[in-house]
Amino acid sequence: MPLPLSTRKILAETGALSRFTGKFFTTGIKPRYEWNELIRQCFVIGYRSLPLVALTGFIMGLVLTMQLRPSLVDYGVESQLPAMVAIAIVREIGPVITALIFAGKIGSSIGAELGSMKVTEQIDAMEVSGTNPFKFLVVTRVLSATLMLPILVILSDVISLYGSYLGVNIRSTTSFNLFFSQVIDNLSYSDVIPAFIKSYFFGFAVGIIGCFKGYHSNKGTEGVGQSANSAVVVASIMIFILDLIAVQITDLLGIN
Amino acid sequence: MANRKINNIRLGIFVLAGLCFLILGLYFIGKDENIFGASFRLKANFENASGLVPGNNVLYAGIQVGTVKKVNLINDTLIEVVMSINEKAKKHIRKNALASIGTEGFIGNKIVNILPGEGPATFIEENDIISAKKAISTDDMLETLAVSNRNIADITVELKTAVQRINYSTAIWKLLNDETLPSNIRATVENLRSASAKANSFVASLQSMAEDVKAGKGSLGQLVTDTSIARQLYKALEKINAAGDQAEKLAGTLQQMTAGIDQDINNGKGIAHSLLKDSLVVLKLNSSLDNIEKGTRAFNENMEALKNNFLFRGYFKKLEKQKKVSKKF
Repeated sequence: MPLPLSTRKILAETGALSRFTGKFFTTGIKPRYEWNELIRQCFVIGYRSLPLVALTGFIMGLVLTMQLRPSLVDYGVESQLPAMVAIAIVREIGPVITALIFAGKIGSSIGAELGSMKVTEQIDAMEVSGTNPFKFLVVTRVLSATLMLPILVILSDVISLYGSYLGVNIRSTTSFNLFFSQVIDNLSYSDVIPAFIKSYFFGFAVGIIGCFKGYHSNKGTEGVGQSANSAVVVASIMIFILDLIAVQITDLLGIN
Repeated sequence: MANRKINNIRLGIFVLAGLCFLILGLYFIGKDENIFGASFRLKANFENASGLVPGNNVLYAGIQVGTVKKVNLINDTLIEVVMSINEKAKKHIRKNALASIGTEGFIGNKIVNILPGEGPATFIEENDIISAKKAISTDDMLETLAVSNRNIADITVELKTAVQRINYSTAIWKLLNDETLPSNIRATVENLRSASAKANSFVASLQSMAEDVKAGKGSLGQLVTDTSIARQLYKALEKINAAGDQAEKLAGTLQQMTAGIDQDINNGKGIAHSLLKDSLVVLKLNSSLDNIEKGTRAFNENMEALKNNFLFRGYFKKLEKQKKVSKKF
Protein backbone atom coordinates (compact mmCIF):
# COMPACT_ATOMS: atom_id res chain seq x y z
CA MET A 1 0.00 0.00 0.00
CA PRO A 2 1.61 3.26 -1.12
CA LEU A 3 1.81 5.86 1.63
CA PRO A 4 0.26 9.29 1.02
CA LEU A 5 2.58 11.84 -0.50
CA SER A 6 2.66 14.06 2.58
CA THR A 7 3.56 11.16 4.84
CA ARG A 8 6.31 10.07 2.49
CA LYS A 9 7.58 13.61 2.42
CA ILE A 10 7.70 13.81 6.22
CA LEU A 11 9.46 10.48 6.47
CA ALA A 12 11.98 11.57 3.81
CA GLU A 13 12.60 14.81 5.66
CA THR A 14 13.10 12.95 8.93
CA GLY A 15 15.52 10.57 7.28
CA ALA A 16 17.47 13.38 5.65
CA LEU A 17 17.60 15.27 8.94
CA SER A 18 18.88 12.18 10.73
CA ARG A 19 21.56 11.68 8.09
CA PHE A 20 22.46 15.38 8.41
CA THR A 21 22.75 15.02 12.20
CA GLY A 22 24.94 11.96 11.80
CA LYS A 23 27.14 13.87 9.35
CA PHE A 24 27.41 16.68 11.92
CA PHE A 25 28.84 14.29 14.50
CA THR A 26 31.16 12.45 12.13
CA THR A 27 32.49 15.67 10.62
CA GLY A 28 32.48 17.61 13.86
CA ILE A 29 34.76 15.34 15.83
CA LYS A 30 37.42 15.25 13.14
CA PRO A 31 40.31 17.69 13.69
CA ARG A 32 40.96 21.02 12.14
CA TYR A 33 38.44 22.81 14.25
CA GLU A 34 37.24 26.22 13.15
CA TRP A 35 37.79 27.95 16.51
CA ASN A 36 37.67 31.51 15.26
CA GLU A 37 34.49 30.93 13.32
CA LEU A 38 32.96 29.12 16.32
CA ILE A 39 33.67 32.09 18.60
CA ARG A 40 32.32 34.53 16.02
CA GLN A 41 29.18 32.45 15.68
CA CYS A 42 28.85 32.25 19.48
CA PHE A 43 29.01 36.04 19.60
CA VAL A 44 26.43 36.43 16.86
CA ILE A 45 24.12 33.72 18.06
CA GLY A 46 24.50 34.14 21.84
CA TYR A 47 25.43 37.69 22.66
CA ARG A 48 23.29 39.30 19.98
CA SER A 49 20.24 37.38 21.16
CA LEU A 50 20.59 38.56 24.74
CA PRO A 51 18.57 41.81 24.50
CA LEU A 52 15.61 40.03 22.93
CA VAL A 53 15.75 37.14 25.38
CA ALA A 54 16.20 39.51 28.33
CA LEU A 55 13.19 41.57 27.33
CA THR A 56 10.92 38.58 26.84
CA GLY A 57 12.19 36.99 30.05
CA PHE A 58 11.57 40.12 32.07
CA ILE A 59 8.08 40.51 30.70
CA MET A 60 7.32 36.82 31.24
CA GLY A 61 8.36 37.02 34.92
CA LEU A 62 6.38 40.16 35.57
CA VAL A 63 3.27 39.01 33.74
CA LEU A 64 3.31 35.51 35.21
CA THR A 65 3.53 36.96 38.72
CA MET A 66 0.66 39.33 38.13
CA GLN A 67 -1.45 36.64 36.47
CA LEU A 68 -0.90 34.05 39.20
CA ARG A 69 -1.45 36.49 42.02
CA PRO A 70 -5.30 36.64 42.07
CA SER A 71 -5.66 32.85 42.20
CA LEU A 72 -3.15 32.60 45.02
CA VAL A 73 -4.91 35.39 46.89
CA ASP A 74 -8.15 33.40 46.52
CA TYR A 75 -6.51 30.44 48.23
CA GLY A 76 -4.86 32.65 50.83
CA VAL A 77 -1.34 31.56 49.88
CA GLU A 78 -0.13 34.84 48.44
CA SER A 79 3.12 34.34 50.33
CA GLN A 80 3.84 31.36 48.08
CA LEU A 81 3.89 33.58 44.99
CA PRO A 82 7.70 33.80 44.72
CA ALA A 83 8.05 30.04 45.15
CA MET A 84 5.42 29.31 42.54
CA VAL A 85 6.77 31.76 39.98
CA ALA A 86 10.33 30.55 40.58
CA ILE A 87 9.42 26.93 39.97
CA ALA A 88 7.35 27.79 36.89
CA ILE A 89 10.10 29.92 35.39
CA VAL A 90 13.07 27.69 36.18
CA ARG A 91 11.43 24.42 35.26
CA GLU A 92 9.41 25.28 32.19
CA ILE A 93 8.77 28.86 31.15
CA GLY A 94 12.41 29.97 31.07
CA PRO A 95 13.80 27.18 28.87
CA VAL A 96 10.82 26.90 26.54
CA ILE A 97 10.12 30.59 25.97
CA THR A 98 13.80 31.35 25.53
CA ALA A 99 14.20 28.46 23.13
CA LEU A 100 11.19 29.60 21.10
CA ILE A 101 12.50 33.15 20.89
CA PHE A 102 15.90 31.71 20.01
CA ALA A 103 14.33 29.57 17.30
CA GLY A 104 12.54 32.61 15.91
CA LYS A 105 15.67 34.70 15.81
CA ILE A 106 18.52 32.25 15.21
CA GLY A 107 16.73 29.43 13.39
CA SER A 108 15.39 31.80 10.77
CA SER A 109 18.67 33.68 10.38
CA ILE A 110 20.69 30.47 9.99
CA GLY A 111 18.12 29.10 7.56
CA ALA A 112 18.11 32.28 5.49
CA GLU A 113 21.89 32.72 5.60
CA LEU A 114 22.73 29.16 4.58
CA GLY A 115 19.82 29.09 2.12
CA SER A 116 21.05 32.19 0.29
CA MET A 117 24.59 30.81 0.32
CA LYS A 118 23.27 27.62 -1.15
CA VAL A 119 21.20 29.24 -3.90
CA THR A 120 24.01 31.66 -4.81
CA GLU A 121 26.33 28.62 -4.92
CA GLN A 122 28.73 30.05 -2.38
CA ILE A 123 28.81 26.70 -0.62
CA ASP A 124 29.94 24.99 -3.78
CA ALA A 125 32.58 27.69 -4.28
CA MET A 126 33.82 27.10 -0.74
CA GLU A 127 34.25 23.42 -1.46
CA VAL A 128 36.25 24.24 -4.55
CA SER A 129 38.52 26.58 -2.55
CA GLY A 130 39.47 23.71 -0.23
CA THR A 131 37.44 24.63 2.85
CA ASN A 132 35.01 22.06 4.20
CA PRO A 133 31.75 24.06 4.00
CA PHE A 134 29.96 21.64 6.32
CA LYS A 135 32.59 22.05 8.96
CA PHE A 136 32.90 25.78 8.52
CA LEU A 137 29.24 26.65 8.25
CA VAL A 138 27.17 23.92 9.90
CA VAL A 139 29.31 22.56 12.72
CA THR A 140 30.23 25.98 14.08
CA ARG A 141 26.64 27.24 13.97
CA VAL A 142 25.12 24.12 15.55
CA LEU A 143 27.78 23.99 18.24
CA SER A 144 27.47 27.65 19.12
CA ALA A 145 23.65 27.38 19.23
CA THR A 146 23.95 24.34 21.50
CA LEU A 147 26.40 26.08 23.82
CA MET A 148 24.75 29.49 23.88
CA LEU A 149 21.12 28.61 24.53
CA PRO A 150 21.70 27.24 28.06
CA ILE A 151 23.54 30.42 29.00
CA LEU A 152 20.74 32.49 27.52
CA VAL A 153 18.25 30.40 29.49
CA ILE A 154 20.10 31.03 32.79
CA LEU A 155 20.28 34.76 32.15
CA SER A 156 16.64 34.78 31.10
CA ASP A 157 15.68 32.95 34.32
CA VAL A 158 17.55 35.51 36.43
CA ILE A 159 15.96 38.43 34.60
CA SER A 160 12.52 36.77 34.80
CA LEU A 161 12.89 36.34 38.55
CA TYR A 162 13.85 39.98 38.85
CA GLY A 163 10.74 40.87 36.85
CA SER A 164 8.76 38.67 39.17
CA TYR A 165 10.25 40.46 42.18
CA LEU A 166 9.05 43.76 40.71
CA GLY A 167 5.67 42.14 39.95
CA VAL A 168 5.27 41.06 43.58
CA ASN A 169 6.15 44.55 44.69
CA ILE A 170 3.45 46.15 42.57
CA ARG A 171 0.63 44.98 44.81
CA SER A 172 2.41 44.09 48.01
CA THR A 173 5.84 44.61 49.47
CA THR A 174 8.64 42.15 49.85
CA SER A 175 12.31 42.72 50.40
CA PHE A 176 14.74 41.46 47.80
CA ASN A 177 16.32 39.28 50.46
CA LEU A 178 13.05 37.62 51.41
CA PHE A 179 12.09 37.09 47.78
CA PHE A 180 15.49 35.64 47.00
CA SER A 181 15.51 33.26 49.97
CA GLN A 182 11.95 32.16 49.22
CA VAL A 183 12.97 31.38 45.65
CA ILE A 184 16.10 29.51 46.68
CA ASP A 185 14.29 27.64 49.47
CA ASN A 186 11.75 26.29 47.04
CA LEU A 187 14.14 25.34 44.29
CA SER A 188 16.10 22.13 44.29
CA TYR A 189 18.60 20.52 41.98
CA SER A 190 15.79 18.47 40.47
CA ASP A 191 14.29 21.76 39.25
CA VAL A 192 17.44 23.34 37.89
CA ILE A 193 19.53 20.52 36.41
CA PRO A 194 16.94 18.89 34.09
CA ALA A 195 15.93 22.31 32.81
CA PHE A 196 19.56 23.17 32.20
CA ILE A 197 20.23 19.90 30.38
CA LYS A 198 17.16 20.11 28.20
CA SER A 199 18.11 23.60 27.04
CA TYR A 200 21.23 22.06 25.41
CA PHE A 201 18.95 19.84 23.37
CA PHE A 202 16.74 22.80 22.48
CA GLY A 203 19.79 24.74 21.30
CA PHE A 204 21.04 21.78 19.31
CA ALA A 205 17.62 21.30 17.70
CA VAL A 206 17.38 24.95 16.69
CA GLY A 207 20.89 24.95 15.23
CA ILE A 208 20.67 21.66 13.37
CA ILE A 209 17.21 22.32 11.93
CA GLY A 210 18.18 25.84 10.82
CA CYS A 211 21.33 24.51 9.15
CA PHE A 212 19.52 21.55 7.58
CA LYS A 213 16.80 23.74 6.12
CA GLY A 214 19.30 26.26 4.80
CA TYR A 215 21.74 23.68 3.49
CA HIS A 216 19.01 21.90 1.57
CA SER A 217 17.17 24.92 0.26
CA ASN A 218 16.55 25.22 -3.48
CA LYS A 219 14.30 26.94 -5.97
CA GLY A 220 16.17 30.22 -5.85
CA THR A 221 15.30 33.17 -3.66
CA GLU A 222 11.82 31.80 -3.04
CA GLY A 223 13.43 28.76 -1.47
CA VAL A 224 15.45 30.96 0.90
CA GLY A 225 12.30 32.40 2.44
CA GLN A 226 10.74 28.98 2.58
CA SER A 227 13.71 27.41 4.31
CA ALA A 228 13.89 30.26 6.83
CA ASN A 229 10.20 29.87 7.58
CA SER A 230 10.21 26.10 7.85
CA ALA A 231 13.37 26.24 10.00
CA VAL A 232 11.46 28.28 12.61
CA VAL A 233 8.32 26.14 12.42
CA VAL A 234 10.10 22.78 12.63
CA ALA A 235 12.48 24.02 15.33
CA SER A 236 9.55 25.27 17.44
CA ILE A 237 7.71 21.98 17.10
CA MET A 238 10.92 20.13 17.88
CA ILE A 239 11.35 22.17 21.06
CA PHE A 240 7.94 21.08 22.29
CA ILE A 241 8.54 17.45 21.35
CA LEU A 242 11.88 17.51 23.18
CA ASP A 243 10.18 19.11 26.17
CA LEU A 244 7.67 16.28 26.21
CA ILE A 245 10.44 13.70 26.06
CA ALA A 246 12.41 15.52 28.77
CA VAL A 247 9.50 15.56 31.18
CA GLN A 248 8.90 11.84 30.57
CA ILE A 249 12.55 11.06 31.27
CA THR A 250 12.70 13.12 34.48
CA ASP A 251 9.46 11.52 35.58
CA LEU A 252 10.84 8.03 34.91
CA LEU A 253 14.03 8.86 36.78
CA GLY A 254 11.94 10.03 39.73
CA ILE A 255 13.49 13.47 39.95
CA ASN A 256 10.40 15.34 38.88
CA MET B 1 40.59 43.04 14.11
CA ALA B 2 40.09 45.39 17.09
CA ASN B 3 36.36 45.08 16.63
CA ARG B 4 36.67 41.34 16.75
CA LYS B 5 38.59 41.53 20.03
CA ILE B 6 35.87 43.66 21.60
CA ASN B 7 33.28 41.19 20.39
CA ASN B 8 35.25 38.37 21.96
CA ILE B 9 35.39 40.24 25.26
CA ARG B 10 31.64 40.80 25.10
CA LEU B 11 31.11 37.13 24.42
CA GLY B 12 33.36 36.26 27.31
CA ILE B 13 31.42 38.49 29.68
CA PHE B 14 28.16 37.02 28.40
CA VAL B 15 29.28 33.42 28.90
CA LEU B 16 30.88 34.09 32.27
CA ALA B 17 27.81 35.94 33.52
CA GLY B 18 25.62 33.00 32.54
CA LEU B 19 27.93 30.46 34.15
CA CYS B 20 28.29 32.64 37.26
CA PHE B 21 24.53 32.78 37.73
CA LEU B 22 24.29 29.04 37.20
CA ILE B 23 27.01 28.27 39.71
CA LEU B 24 25.65 30.77 42.26
CA GLY B 25 22.17 29.33 41.90
CA LEU B 26 23.42 25.79 42.29
CA TYR B 27 25.53 26.82 45.28
CA PHE B 28 22.67 28.52 47.11
CA ILE B 29 20.30 25.66 46.42
CA GLY B 30 22.98 23.20 47.52
CA LYS B 31 23.69 25.21 50.65
CA ASP B 32 20.01 24.98 51.44
CA GLU B 33 20.13 21.23 51.05
CA ASN B 34 23.31 20.97 53.10
CA ILE B 35 25.37 19.49 50.29
CA PHE B 36 28.37 21.71 50.92
CA GLY B 37 29.94 22.15 54.31
CA ALA B 38 30.50 19.68 57.10
CA SER B 39 27.50 17.84 58.41
CA PHE B 40 26.78 14.87 60.60
CA ARG B 41 24.03 12.28 60.83
CA LEU B 42 21.32 12.27 63.43
CA LYS B 43 18.52 9.74 63.72
CA ALA B 44 15.07 9.75 65.21
CA ASN B 45 12.49 6.97 65.30
CA PHE B 46 8.87 7.81 64.67
CA GLU B 47 5.70 5.81 64.67
CA ASN B 48 4.37 7.74 61.72
CA ALA B 49 6.40 9.61 59.12
CA SER B 50 3.37 11.79 58.24
CA GLY B 51 4.55 12.11 54.64
CA LEU B 52 8.11 13.15 55.40
CA VAL B 53 10.40 12.76 52.37
CA PRO B 54 14.15 13.17 51.87
CA GLY B 55 15.02 16.83 51.37
CA ASN B 56 12.56 18.17 53.93
CA ASN B 57 14.01 20.74 56.28
CA VAL B 58 15.12 20.07 59.84
CA LEU B 59 14.60 22.94 62.25
CA TYR B 60 16.20 23.29 65.66
CA ALA B 61 14.25 25.75 67.81
CA GLY B 62 12.86 27.25 64.59
CA ILE B 63 16.20 27.65 62.77
CA GLN B 64 17.08 25.49 59.80
CA VAL B 65 20.00 23.26 60.72
CA GLY B 66 19.77 20.51 58.12
CA THR B 67 17.69 18.28 55.90
CA VAL B 68 16.14 14.85 55.98
CA LYS B 69 18.47 12.37 54.27
CA LYS B 70 16.50 9.14 54.42
CA VAL B 71 13.22 7.78 55.70
CA ASN B 72 13.61 4.06 56.40
CA LEU B 73 10.88 1.63 57.34
CA ILE B 74 12.40 -0.47 60.14
CA ASN B 75 9.40 -2.54 61.13
CA ASP B 76 5.63 -2.32 61.15
CA THR B 77 5.51 0.41 63.80
CA LEU B 78 8.91 2.04 63.56
CA ILE B 79 10.21 4.49 61.01
CA GLU B 80 13.76 5.72 61.16
CA VAL B 81 14.38 9.24 59.92
CA VAL B 82 18.03 9.97 59.12
CA MET B 83 18.86 13.64 59.13
CA SER B 84 21.92 15.48 57.92
CA ILE B 85 22.62 18.26 60.40
CA ASN B 86 25.01 21.15 59.99
CA GLU B 87 28.20 20.66 61.97
CA LYS B 88 27.72 24.13 63.49
CA ALA B 89 24.56 22.97 65.27
CA LYS B 90 26.41 20.12 66.96
CA LYS B 91 27.48 22.22 69.88
CA HIS B 92 23.91 23.38 70.55
CA ILE B 93 21.80 20.24 70.33
CA ARG B 94 21.81 18.03 73.43
CA LYS B 95 21.07 14.33 73.77
CA ASN B 96 17.70 14.88 75.41
CA ALA B 97 16.39 16.94 72.48
CA LEU B 98 12.98 15.92 71.13
CA ALA B 99 12.15 15.52 67.45
CA SER B 100 8.66 15.95 66.07
CA ILE B 101 7.20 16.11 62.60
CA GLY B 102 5.33 19.27 61.72
CA THR B 103 4.42 21.36 58.73
CA GLU B 104 5.62 24.70 57.43
CA GLY B 105 2.57 26.82 57.94
CA PHE B 106 -0.77 25.04 57.76
CA ILE B 107 -0.50 23.39 54.36
CA GLY B 108 3.21 23.67 53.70
CA ASN B 109 5.94 21.07 53.40
CA LYS B 110 6.63 18.60 56.19
CA ILE B 111 9.50 19.47 58.49
CA VAL B 112 11.28 17.86 61.42
CA ASN B 113 11.30 20.08 64.49
CA ILE B 114 14.01 19.41 67.03
CA LEU B 115 13.22 21.03 70.33
CA PRO B 116 15.55 21.37 73.33
CA GLY B 117 14.77 18.88 76.08
CA GLU B 118 14.41 19.73 79.74
CA GLY B 119 17.24 19.31 82.19
CA PRO B 120 20.96 18.90 81.61
CA ALA B 121 22.42 16.49 79.07
CA THR B 122 25.58 16.10 77.05
CA PHE B 123 25.84 17.24 73.46
CA ILE B 124 24.86 14.94 70.62
CA GLU B 125 27.33 12.94 68.62
CA GLU B 126 27.45 11.35 65.18
CA ASN B 127 24.67 8.79 64.56
CA ASP B 128 22.88 9.52 67.83
CA ILE B 129 19.21 8.61 68.05
CA ILE B 130 17.14 11.30 69.70
CA SER B 131 13.71 10.59 71.09
CA ALA B 132 10.65 11.51 69.10
CA LYS B 133 7.60 13.32 70.26
CA LYS B 134 4.23 12.59 68.75
CA ALA B 135 3.06 15.84 67.28
CA ILE B 136 -0.57 16.81 67.07
CA SER B 137 -1.56 16.01 63.55
CA THR B 138 -4.37 17.55 61.58
CA ASP B 139 -6.23 14.25 61.83
CA ASP B 140 -6.14 14.35 65.64
CA MET B 141 -7.32 17.94 65.54
CA LEU B 142 -10.15 17.00 63.21
CA GLU B 143 -11.11 14.13 65.49
CA THR B 144 -11.34 16.49 68.45
CA LEU B 145 -13.25 18.91 66.30
CA ALA B 146 -15.71 16.16 65.37
CA VAL B 147 -16.44 15.58 69.07
CA SER B 148 -16.87 19.32 69.61
CA ASN B 149 -19.17 19.48 66.61
CA ARG B 150 -21.32 16.71 68.03
CA ASN B 151 -21.49 18.55 71.34
CA ILE B 152 -22.42 21.75 69.54
CA ALA B 153 -25.16 19.88 67.69
CA ASP B 154 -26.55 18.60 71.00
CA ILE B 155 -26.40 22.06 72.49
CA THR B 156 -28.17 23.61 69.54
CA VAL B 157 -30.95 21.03 69.84
CA GLU B 158 -31.37 21.94 73.51
CA LEU B 159 -31.23 25.61 72.63
CA LYS B 160 -33.87 25.07 69.98
CA THR B 161 -36.29 23.48 72.43
CA ALA B 162 -35.56 26.20 74.95
CA VAL B 163 -36.26 28.91 72.39
CA GLN B 164 -39.41 27.12 71.28
CA ARG B 165 -40.64 26.93 74.83
CA ILE B 166 -39.95 30.62 75.26
CA ASN B 167 -41.79 31.31 72.02
CA TYR B 168 -44.88 29.36 73.08
CA SER B 169 -44.86 30.72 76.63
CA THR B 170 -47.65 33.32 76.93
CA ALA B 171 -46.43 34.56 80.29
CA ILE B 172 -43.08 35.76 78.95
CA TRP B 173 -44.68 37.39 75.92
CA LYS B 174 -47.24 39.07 78.14
CA LEU B 175 -44.41 40.33 80.26
CA LEU B 176 -42.54 41.51 77.18
CA ASN B 177 -45.63 43.11 75.64
CA ASP B 178 -46.64 44.84 78.87
CA GLU B 179 -46.19 48.52 78.15
CA THR B 180 -46.52 49.53 81.77
CA LEU B 181 -43.59 47.35 82.73
CA PRO B 182 -40.89 49.79 81.68
CA SER B 183 -42.49 52.63 83.57
CA ASN B 184 -42.89 50.37 86.60
CA ILE B 185 -39.32 49.31 86.37
CA ARG B 186 -38.34 52.92 85.98
CA ALA B 187 -40.35 53.83 89.08
CA THR B 188 -38.80 50.94 90.96
CA VAL B 189 -35.39 52.07 89.92
CA GLU B 190 -36.30 55.59 90.97
CA ASN B 191 -37.39 54.31 94.37
CA LEU B 192 -34.28 52.28 94.67
CA ARG B 193 -32.27 55.33 93.83
CA SER B 194 -34.00 57.48 96.45
CA ALA B 195 -33.71 54.63 98.96
CA SER B 196 -30.06 54.34 98.27
CA ALA B 197 -29.71 58.12 98.55
CA LYS B 198 -31.45 57.95 101.93
CA ALA B 199 -29.30 55.07 102.95
CA ASN B 200 -26.38 57.16 101.89
CA SER B 201 -27.42 60.12 104.01
CA PHE B 202 -28.21 57.75 106.87
CA VAL B 203 -24.78 56.29 106.65
CA ALA B 204 -23.38 59.81 106.48
CA SER B 205 -25.19 60.83 109.66
CA LEU B 206 -24.12 57.58 111.30
CA GLN B 207 -20.66 58.46 110.36
CA SER B 208 -20.93 61.94 111.77
CA MET B 209 -22.41 60.42 114.94
CA ALA B 210 -19.57 58.04 115.17
CA GLU B 211 -17.21 60.94 114.67
CA ASP B 212 -19.03 62.86 117.48
CA VAL B 213 -18.76 59.86 119.74
CA LYS B 214 -15.11 59.63 118.92
CA ALA B 215 -14.72 63.30 119.68
CA GLY B 216 -16.52 62.84 123.06
CA LYS B 217 -19.69 64.82 122.30
CA GLY B 218 -23.08 63.78 123.88
CA SER B 219 -23.78 61.29 126.65
CA LEU B 220 -22.67 58.28 124.63
CA GLY B 221 -19.55 60.13 123.76
CA GLN B 222 -18.91 60.89 127.41
CA LEU B 223 -19.62 57.32 128.28
CA VAL B 224 -17.11 56.21 125.74
CA THR B 225 -14.50 58.85 126.30
CA ASP B 226 -14.83 59.82 130.05
CA THR B 227 -12.30 57.76 132.00
CA SER B 228 -13.73 58.73 135.45
CA ILE B 229 -16.94 56.83 134.69
CA ALA B 230 -14.98 53.67 134.44
CA ARG B 231 -13.50 54.31 137.89
CA GLN B 232 -16.92 54.97 139.37
CA LEU B 233 -18.29 51.91 137.71
CA TYR B 234 -15.47 49.96 139.26
CA LYS B 235 -16.27 51.30 142.69
CA ALA B 236 -19.94 50.49 142.26
CA LEU B 237 -19.08 47.02 141.28
CA GLU B 238 -16.90 46.68 144.35
CA LYS B 239 -19.77 47.80 146.53
CA ILE B 240 -22.14 45.37 144.88
CA ASN B 241 -19.55 42.74 145.52
CA ALA B 242 -19.36 43.66 149.23
CA ALA B 243 -23.17 43.63 149.49
CA GLY B 244 -23.16 40.22 147.97
CA ASP B 245 -20.70 39.06 150.59
CA GLN B 246 -22.94 40.38 153.39
CA ALA B 247 -25.97 38.76 151.84
CA GLU B 248 -24.08 35.53 151.87
CA LYS B 249 -23.36 35.95 155.59
CA LEU B 250 -27.03 36.70 156.24
CA ALA B 251 -28.03 33.61 154.37
CA GLY B 252 -25.59 31.67 156.51
CA THR B 253 -27.17 32.98 159.74
CA LEU B 254 -30.64 32.26 158.43
CA GLN B 255 -29.60 28.78 157.69
CA GLN B 256 -28.23 28.33 161.19
CA MET B 257 -31.48 29.66 162.64
CA THR B 258 -33.66 27.29 160.66
CA ALA B 259 -31.34 24.48 161.58
CA GLY B 260 -31.82 25.42 165.30
CA ILE B 261 -35.59 25.57 164.94
CA ASP B 262 -35.56 22.24 163.20
CA GLN B 263 -33.55 20.76 166.03
CA ASP B 264 -35.92 22.27 168.66
CA ILE B 265 -38.91 20.81 166.93
CA ASN B 266 -37.39 17.40 166.64
CA ASN B 267 -35.95 17.31 170.19
CA GLY B 268 -39.16 18.35 172.02
CA LYS B 269 -38.66 21.93 173.18
CA GLY B 270 -41.28 24.72 173.08
CA ILE B 271 -44.97 24.92 172.00
CA ALA B 272 -44.49 24.01 168.40
CA HIS B 273 -42.95 20.72 169.39
CA SER B 274 -45.80 19.81 171.77
CA LEU B 275 -48.33 20.85 169.17
CA LEU B 276 -46.76 18.87 166.39
CA LYS B 277 -45.18 15.91 168.12
CA ASP B 278 -46.92 15.23 171.61
CA SER B 279 -49.71 12.62 171.16
CA LEU B 280 -50.94 13.17 174.74
CA VAL B 281 -51.86 16.76 174.02
CA VAL B 282 -53.96 15.53 171.15
CA LEU B 283 -55.94 13.14 173.39
CA LYS B 284 -56.50 15.91 175.93
CA LEU B 285 -57.67 18.27 173.25
CA ASN B 286 -60.08 15.61 171.95
CA SER B 287 -61.64 15.06 175.38
CA SER B 288 -61.91 18.84 175.86
CA LEU B 289 -63.76 19.15 172.59
CA ASP B 290 -66.15 16.29 173.66
CA ASN B 291 -66.85 18.06 176.90
CA ILE B 292 -67.59 21.30 175.06
CA GLU B 293 -70.02 19.39 172.76
CA LYS B 294 -71.81 17.86 175.73
CA GLY B 295 -71.96 21.28 177.37
CA THR B 296 -73.53 22.94 174.35
CA ARG B 297 -76.12 20.14 174.01
CA ALA B 298 -77.16 20.62 177.64
CA PHE B 299 -77.31 24.35 177.04
CA ASN B 300 -79.59 23.74 174.00
CA GLU B 301 -81.96 21.68 176.20
CA ASN B 302 -81.97 24.49 178.77
CA MET B 303 -82.91 27.01 176.10
CA GLU B 304 -85.80 24.79 174.84
CA ALA B 305 -87.03 24.66 178.39
CA LEU B 306 -86.84 28.44 178.60
CA LYS B 307 -88.92 28.81 175.42
CA ASN B 308 -91.67 26.76 176.86
CA ASN B 309 -91.55 28.67 180.12
CA PHE B 310 -94.42 31.20 180.39
CA LEU B 311 -92.21 33.97 181.46
CA PHE B 312 -90.37 33.93 178.24
CA ARG B 313 -93.15 32.58 175.82
CA GLY B 314 -94.32 36.10 174.80
CA TYR B 315 -90.84 37.14 173.81
CA PHE B 316 -90.38 34.11 171.58
CA LYS B 317 -93.77 34.55 169.85
CA LYS B 318 -92.89 38.17 169.02
CA LEU B 319 -89.66 37.00 167.53
CA GLU B 320 -91.52 34.50 165.25
CA LYS B 321 -93.92 37.23 164.06
CA GLN B 322 -91.04 39.51 163.10
CA LYS B 323 -89.52 36.61 161.12
CA LYS B 324 -92.79 36.06 159.16
CA VAL B 325 -93.09 39.82 158.34
CA SER B 326 -89.54 39.94 157.01
CA LYS B 327 -90.32 36.81 154.90
CA LYS B 328 -93.43 38.49 153.30
CA PHE B 329 -91.44 41.46 152.07
